[in-house]
Amino acid sequence: MLLHAVYPFTAVVGQQQAKRALLIALVNHHAGGLLIGGRKGTAKTTLVRAAQELLSPRKIVDLPLNVTEDMLFGSIDIEYAVSKGERRFLPGILGRANGNALYIDEANLLRQELLTAVLDANTAGFNHVERDGISFTHEVSYTVIGTMNPEEGILPSHILDRFGMYVDVQGEMEPADRVEIIKRALAYGKDIGEFRKQYAESVEELRAQVQAAKETLPQVEVTEAMMQLAAQMCAQAFCAGHRAEIYLLEAARAIAALAKRTYILPQDMQEAAVYVLPHRMRTPPEQQEMEEQEEEQEERDENQEPQENEDDAPQNPDELPPPPPQPDDEDDDGSDEDPDENKEQDEKEQEQQDSSQLAPEEQIADIDRTFKIPKLVLDMGKNNTLRRGSGKRSATKTDLKQGRYVRAELPKSKVEDLAFDATIRAAAPYQKMREANGCALNIQKEDLRQKVREKRIGNTFLFAVDASGSMGARERMRAVKGAIFYMLQDAYQKRDRVGMIGFRRQQAEVLLPITRSVDLAQKCLAEMPTGGKTPLADGLATSLLTLAKLNKKDSELEPILVLVTDGRANAVEGNEDPVASAIKMAEKIRKAKITSVVIDTESDFIKLGVAKKVAQAMGASYYSLRQLSKEQILRIVRNLGE
Amino acid sequence: MKRTAVYPFTAIVGQEDMKMALILNVINPALGGVLIKGEKGTAKSTAVRALAELLPAMHAVHGCRFNCDPHNPNLFCDDCAKNHTSGAELYVEDIAMRVVELPVSATEDRVVGTLDIEHAIKHGEKKFEAGILAQANRNILYVDEINLLDDHVVDVLLDAAAMGINTVEREGVSYSHPARFVLVGTMNPEEGDIRPQLLDRFGLSVVVTGEHDPAQRVEVIKRRLAYEDDADKFIAGFTEEQQALADKITQAREVLANVTISDELLETVAKLAVELGVDGHRADITVIKTALTLAAFNGHQEVELEDVKVAAKLVLPHRMRRRPFEEGQLDWNKVEAFLGQEA
Repeated sequence: MLLHAVYPFTAVVGQQQAKRALLIALVNHHAGGLLIGGRKGTAKTTLVRAAQELLSPRKIVDLPLNVTEDMLFGSIDIEYAVSKGERRFLPGILGRANGNALYIDEANLLRQELLTAVLDANTAGFNHVERDGISFTHEVSYTVIGTMNPEEGILPSHILDRFGMYVDVQGEMEPADRVEIIKRALAYGKDIGEFRKQYAESVEELRAQVQAAKETLPQVEVTEAMMQLAAQMCAQAFCAGHRAEIYLLEAARAIAALAKRTYILPQDMQEAAVYVLPHRMRTPPEQQEMEEQEEEQEERDENQEPQENEDDAPQNPDELPPPPPQPDDEDDDGSDEDPDENKEQDEKEQEQQDSSQLAPEEQIADIDRTFKIPKLVLDMGKNNTLRRGSGKRSATKTDLKQGRYVRAELPKSKVEDLAFDATIRAAAPYQKMREANGCALNIQKEDLRQKVREKRIGNTFLFAVDASGSMGARERMRAVKGAIFYMLQDAYQKRDRVGMIGFRRQQAEVLLPITRSVDLAQKCLAEMPTGGKTPLADGLATSLLTLAKLNKKDSELEPILVLVTDGRANAVEGNEDPVASAIKMAEKIRKAKITSVVIDTESDFIKLGVAKKVAQAMGASYYSLRQLSKEQILRIVRNLGE
Repeated sequence: MKRTAVYPFTAIVGQEDMKMALILNVINPALGGVLIKGEKGTAKSTAVRALAELLPAMHAVHGCRFNCDPHNPNLFCDDCAKNHTSGAELYVEDIAMRVVELPVSATEDRVVGTLDIEHAIKHGEKKFEAGILAQANRNILYVDEINLLDDHVVDVLLDAAAMGINTVEREGVSYSHPARFVLVGTMNPEEGDIRPQLLDRFGLSVVVTGEHDPAQRVEVIKRRLAYEDDADKFIAGFTEEQQALADKITQAREVLANVTISDELLETVAKLAVELGVDGHRADITVIKTALTLAAFNGHQEVELEDVKVAAKLVLPHRMRRRPFEEGQLDWNKVEAFLGQEA
């Protein structure tokens, strides 16, 4: 499709690593495929599309994000079934990809179970289908090529590990190169045919090289010495499992074949390591203790393989490239802030000092972004009720006619969301036996199938933040803002909805109604002043009211209340006991079955422990801020969402 | 259905940036569309819908559901390509470029296309039923409230926008067709963010605010009232201006291919992009394309520094590298200083 419009491979400026890795992947599919990561606009997709011309006569088969399962794995051949009355298997994308390359654009956005299935079938060497009355197994062997933009989320390490090679692409930084890129883009836009002609020769040369290398490949031998070297390199990089060695050797074979050699040189291995090792490198054992927390987080990724080769591990390898972003650790390193951010922070501090227009007891704490401190895991049961909404946090079945159509099922009651394709597939084999009705298909009630749709939904977080004078003391507010900041950052990636309530002086105030704009929440947080008394009961009442309104509007979005307070309640209407009325309100929240978390900021020498009591009354999970690191804060939110 | 009257584009008071961005995209569909950010009631949707009246006619292959360009066989859909290689004559027809709307509630199957059910039941054969992306090929795809679009619809939109091809693998059909469209989106930032990846797909972005000058505001009211009072009469009053603008657009389209830019200016833009630390290369390429288009619109043969400045203002603000919450602000003084010193 549109092969005549492909941007020529050799016209892509720079990106040597990605180009080289693509060639290796095309020459030797045992090298385990390739994942290209990089920010937007760095020619990732262009390169892969361009590779099509080098692969000819083999193809690059696309796996679009809108794929349905029957199309991916294959299903019954409807046309054959209707005309012959027999069931016959019609191969899907995996079948078509056999012997070819399979391309997944935005691989990190594909449903993970599909991505895993695609990679697994390739490893196993066959695709086994049981659906629509068809049982069929066929052999598969393809080269998986994926691209992704890490900003949109990162793949878990067990999936990363299944890609043989990983390359990180970046934009060219030399103005001269950039000018060349612009010029070529303009020339291509002006006349595609003419532009392609200019590069036709170099593309053909490269294609011939790939073809020749493929023919040489079977003769490239792997010697004992190279196996030893591979084992050593992988041990140095602390790779988990034994896939790394195999991929390393296979990639090195392709490199040798591309150089028209039938033997592998150590430098081939070194080059192969650049592509094979970065996404599997682990932290050496001595550093592991320090980074225990990260490890813990990774444990959530199932299928984590055990660490190997830990004991006989020598020093860090020196010429290995830096590892790609690993799941979850992007936010973990508080020290990697860029200077601008610090500057901004300084400016805020400046502002804070300048904020003389605020009442004397008021101040605005900045956000402590370096906030660090131990461990907790919050256990939330899986919730499989049908929900509505949009976001990325939890995949959920949805009963609305929205969301991605993933598969079809037999209807349990009246069919509302008919899966036409599945219905036709079910009816097709019986057409010979059924009465003709003027149409090619006579569909009966038992054929009806219903769509199963899936949608990722975000959660709703309502932050109720104690902004009283006691919170302003001793940098406490700064730490609180730091903690909330990290929760917001996570919410942004997951596309959760957030709201914020501040309570101080006599009453609570809705600072930000529930919104999807996490940016606004961030601004609201930065500007939140502190000072005055603590109307804890009113804060809880306002939270309950806000959530109740939400519940009526959108009953399926699961709201989570995050209460941040030191528990020093001292303001209340009337002459009730402030603490008692807060606890009374907290009980109401529990009765409303609102999932909640209390983060206790009390750090004085003498503790009153009110926040803990409130947490008990609310049925909330309770954490003390002093014991929390930002990783754990993230984990609280994440666990809540999953 | 009788086509409802459309408020004339030229009758919109102020909002010069937005109007310019839209016009530039009509002249040069390769710019990559425009994102219009603004509060409610700032004539965003009015402007996009009004644009339809100014769209030039284009050649298309007769009967092709993707409106293939008969003069560009490189971008033919499968059917046209087959007819082309078999030597069959492709009939050319003149059609107007259109604004195709993608409603926020659209489902994925309607967007990308799906199995033609009627055909399947009647004939027992599979056939592809084209979706909105097929209609949008070579046209303008307009998404109102684009920030509220469902995540998975955004995914497929990104997929198609990336390469200008829509690949469908769903519900029993396997099909791909060209989908090169000018993406125009409007959003109210108060209602939520837009994903960075989608943001980057927009060539240009403009922020619209309500007019602050009382005299201008009065003019807005007067025109609106006149329009509501007698739409036909109001539209007739702008016929001349509309025609003048349409002619200017047509003219600009013709000269666009001949506009040149100096190597010095290319280098200036490349350096600026490095200086600002934008992601990838789309920013530089788009600044240059926009500057070329601006020069064409102004009737110039060669791009001037001023064109680059105006282009930078439309292209760069939404591309400033940002992590969540980092102010993605473009320091305009820095850009001006840089361009000044380079020039």
